[in-house]
Amino acid sequence: MRLRGMAGCVAMSAALLWTPMALAHHSNSAFYVTKIITIQGVVKEFRWSNPHVWVILTVDDGKGNKVDWKAEGRPPGILARAGWTPKSLQPGETVTIDLSPAKDDTASGLIARVTKADGTILANAPAPTE
Amino acid sequence: MTRFQSINVAAVLISAAALQAQTTPPDFSGVYYPINPFGRFTGAPSPTTAGRQQGPPPRPTASAPVSDGSRGRTPDEPSLTPEYLAKWEAIRKTRIAGSSEYDPVAKCLPPGMPVMMNMFYGMEVMQNKDKITFFSELNDALRRVYLDGRKPSQKVLDDLTYAGYSTGHWDGDTLVVDTVALRGDTFIEGFTPHSDAMTVHERIRLKEPGLLEDRITVTDPKALTQPWETTKTYRKASREKGNDELREFACAEGLGEAK
Repeated sequence: MRLRGMAGCVAMSAALLWTPMALAHHSNSAFYVTKIITIQGVVKEFRWSNPHVWVILTVDDGKGNKVDWKAEGRPPGILARAGWTPKSLQPGETVTIDLSPAKDDTASGLIARVTKADGTILANAPAPTE
Repeated sequence: MTRFQSINVAAVLISAAALQAQTTPPDFSGVYYPINPFGRFTGAPSPTTAGRQQGPPPRPTASAPVSDGSRGRTPDEPSLTPEYLAKWEAIRKTRIAGSSEYDPVAKCLPPGMPVMMNMFYGMEVMQNKDKITFFSELNDALRRVYLDGRKPSQKVLDDLTYAGYSTGHWDGDTLVVDTVALRGDTFIEGFTPHSDAMTVHERIRLKEPGLLEDRITVTDPKALTQPWETTKTYRKASREKGNDELREFACAEGLGEAK
């Protein structure tokens, strides 16, 4: 049990490192884009970077474990036109994220939208051009 | 005035108008966004319901268009020769498995012509008499179209690039552009492959004020069984709408994470 706990710790630490695969640039084909799951948690980090923004969200998995989800968003240019700013999300705040899970079964996904505690919705694209 | 004289006057007026049109082509300069590139699954309120919607918007059902080929090919996609259809199938397998290994954009490389004209994240057009430049916010990609009458030299034809080498001329209000010297390892559309024999012909015009249209014809004797035609339409941004500034993309910022 203790060993298993240790192994869990090691796995968790590994997950916290910015591994090349986890943050590598990729196309939408890395995700099940028509599947949406909803996670709620506490923002650990909000990275306003190209070509994707990242929200690292600490989520309680319901079994007493905290899992850091890596939620990937569209680039800052697109999100800025959808109403986001580099200060849209602050570490420590609780948010809900609708996202498409990654095909590689890691705790990561492509953001469809982020809902803040006050109900503000941050969409993943501006309203369509008509 | 005799009938002959009035015909003469009319002829002079017509040629003056023609000359005027010839010397002052329309100005395409500005920032544009493609019409409805992402569809309606984004979680964003549509312009028609924004402000009128009661309660929270419905939960999104998707985060992006399906782009891994899992839905097969549609009849409006380029018609591929057996060799290139096999290539597409091979790429499709990798994408369904979640890989982006064949996608130049995922490596922060330019998307290349003609797929860059999707301009998913916005386009900036810069135009003068001798050159028109199209900039894509996606991957900071750029293409130049020479309007001063130059033609691609053999040196240019031997030097394949993502955007290729484009020359154009005005046909009335329409800009006619031909692009050659394109690399063979980019996509026509989606992840449809092509050869390095591909050429692209475009007719670009203002369909109405503020609405730019690009009618694209792709020819590739090795990859396509027939030329493929598509039309892209872009709405001009404005300072009033607050959307006339594109942002830096700096794709390599993300690659910096990789070892």
